[in-house]
Amino acid sequence: MDFIFEGFLQALNLLASGNAETYSAIIATVTVSSYSIGCSLLIGIPFGFCLGYFDFNGKKSIRTVVDTLMALPTVFIGLLVYAFLTHRGPLGNFGLLFTLPGIAIGQTILALPIVIGLSATAVESMDQKLGVTIMSLGANRRQLFFSSLWESRHGILAGAIAAYGRVMTEVGISMMVGGNIKWHTRTITTAIALETNKGQFGMGVALGLVLLAIAFCVNISVSFLRRRY
Amino acid sequence: MVLPIYEIRSLKHSYADQTVLALEHLTVQPASIVGLIGPNGSGKSTLLRLLGLIERPTEGKIFFNGLCVEPFAYEARFQITLLPQEPLLMKRSVFRNVSYGLKLRGNQNNLIDRVNAALSLVGLPSENFARRPWYALSGGEAQRVALAARLALRPKVLLLDEPTAGVDAASAQLIKEASLRARQESGTTLIVASHDWEWLYEVCDEVIHLFKGRKLGTGRETVVFGPWQPREDGDCQKVLPDGQLIIVPKPSHPHACAVIDRVAIARGDKNPEVKAEQVVLSGIISRMALEHASGDVVVTILIANVPFSVCLARHRISSDGFYPGCRIWLSYDRPAVKWI
Repeated sequence: MDFIFEGFLQALNLLASGNAETYSAIIATVTVSSYSIGCSLLIGIPFGFCLGYFDFNGKKSIRTVVDTLMALPTVFIGLLVYAFLTHRGPLGNFGLLFTLPGIAIGQTILALPIVIGLSATAVESMDQKLGVTIMSLGANRRQLFFSSLWESRHGILAGAIAAYGRVMTEVGISMMVGGNIKWHTRTITTAIALETNKGQFGMGVALGLVLLAIAFCVNISVSFLRRRY
Repeated sequence: MVLPIYEIRSLKHSYADQTVLALEHLTVQPASIVGLIGPNGSGKSTLLRLLGLIERPTEGKIFFNGLCVEPFAYEARFQITLLPQEPLLMKRSVFRNVSYGLKLRGNQNNLIDRVNAALSLVGLPSENFARRPWYALSGGEAQRVALAARLALRPKVLLLDEPTAGVDAASAQLIKEASLRARQESGTTLIVASHDWEWLYEVCDEVIHLFKGRKLGTGRETVVFGPWQPREDGDCQKVLPDGQLIIVPKPSHPHACAVIDRVAIARGDKNPEVKAEQVVLSGIISRMALEHASGDVVVTILIANVPFSVCLARHRISSDGFYPGCRIWLSYDRPAVKWI
C-alpha cells in the first residue's frame, strides 16, 4: 500500500513544482476535449432536439441507431478514424494522424451519439403541456421552437456532461489516433496508462487527480449555471 | 348587428378516427361570458383548445372577428389566450413566467408595473412572489400565476378550462374575481369550462351544455344514462336504487342516453294527478342557483341518485315554498324524451 501513498505525495509534488511533462498532458487533454465537445454540442443539440421534437417516418429507426452508437467502443472508433486518416486512407492528405485535431475528430464521433441521444430524450420527456402553454401565450412557430429548447436545457446539459465525461476519460482513440507522442499528443489518460506500465505511479496518480479536479470544476460550473438559469 | 367574436361552422374534431367534437354552428358575442358544462369527455377542453388556436380542427372553420383563423394566425394569436386545465409554469421565476407573453409581443413598456398589477389581481403580492422560482409555489399559487400571465396580456378572449379545479376555496374565489374583473375592465370575452355550474349560471350570459361532443342545450336538460330494461307495454325503464322507475319510450339501443328537458315540479303530500303519458317521481331539491341571463332559478332535484334540472321563475320559488332539502314531486312527458 505504501506505493499508493507515495504516489499521492509525488503527485502533489509534480503539480506544485509545475512539472512540464505533467502540464503538457493536461493542456493536450483540455484542448482536445474542448474541441471535441464543442463540435459535438454544435452538431448534436440541434439534431437531438429535432429528433425528439418532431414526429416523422423512420424516427424510431434513427433513435435505435443513435442509441446503439452511444455504446461505441473507443478502440473501434480509434480504428476507424486511424483507417481514414492514415496516408493510405481517404483523408490521409490532410495529415491529421498523430495530431490533436485527429484525436478531436475521433472524440467527436464518440460524444456525438451521446449528445444526440440524451438531447432527444430530454425533449421527449418534456411535459406535453409545455407546447400548449407557450402557444396559448401567443408564440409563433419559431418562438415555440426556441422556448421548448430553452425549457429542455437541464436535460440537454446533463447529456453534455455525460458526453464530456466520456471524452475526458477515453484511452482508445487518443492512443490509436494520437499515438501517445510525448510533448505532442500525450493526453492524461494515455499518460496514466504509460506511466503505470513503467511503474511510475506518482505521475499516474497526479494525472488521475487532475482528471478528477477537471471533472469537479465542470460539475461545479454546471451546478452554478443550473441555479442561475 | 354586432359581429360575433367567434363563429364556428361545421366543426368536427377527431382523435385517432374517433370524433370527439361535432358542432354545426356556434357564435360568441364580444365581451360576453359563455359557460361550457358537461361531463368529462364531453368535448369542453377540446372546444377550448380549438378556440384557443392550439389545434387545427379536423373539419370545419373557426372565424375570429369575421376572419377564418388557424393555429399561429397573426390576426388572432395576440388576442386569444387559454388557461389550460393543468397549467404549466415554465422553468423560470414567477416574474419571467408572467412577463413571457408580453415579451413575445415585444411589449416591454411598463413591464414591471404590468406584471406586478397582474400578480396583485390574483392576490399574489409581487414583493413576495415575483422572484420565486417555478418550483417554490403551491398548486393554487401556480394556478394563479398562470392566470396572471394571461391577464397581463389584456386579451380580447380569455379561455378558462376548469380554472378552479384542484385549488382551495380561497384560491378559487380569487381566480373567479380576477377573471370577471378582466371582463369588466378590458371588455374581455370569457369562455369558461367548469363543473362549478352554480358559478357559471350566476355569471354567464349563455351556458352551453356539451355531451359526447355535441351541443345538447343550455344546461337545463337532464341526461339519464342506460342501461334500459324493456317493459311489457313496449316502453323501457330504469330501476332506481329506491325502487322508483324512470320510464321512457323504447331507445335505439339499451345503452342510449335519455334527454329529459321538460320537467314540472310540485309540492304536496299526495302523488299528484297526471296524464297517462306522464311519469311522476319523488325527490329532494338538492341545489338552487340564480341564472344571471334570465333571472330564473335553476333547481336541481335528486331522484334517488339521478340529478334532474328544472328552471323556475323566481316568484315560484317563494310562492310554492321551494327550498333545498324540500321533498317534491317531479313529472315529465314520456313521449317528449329525446335520445342521444
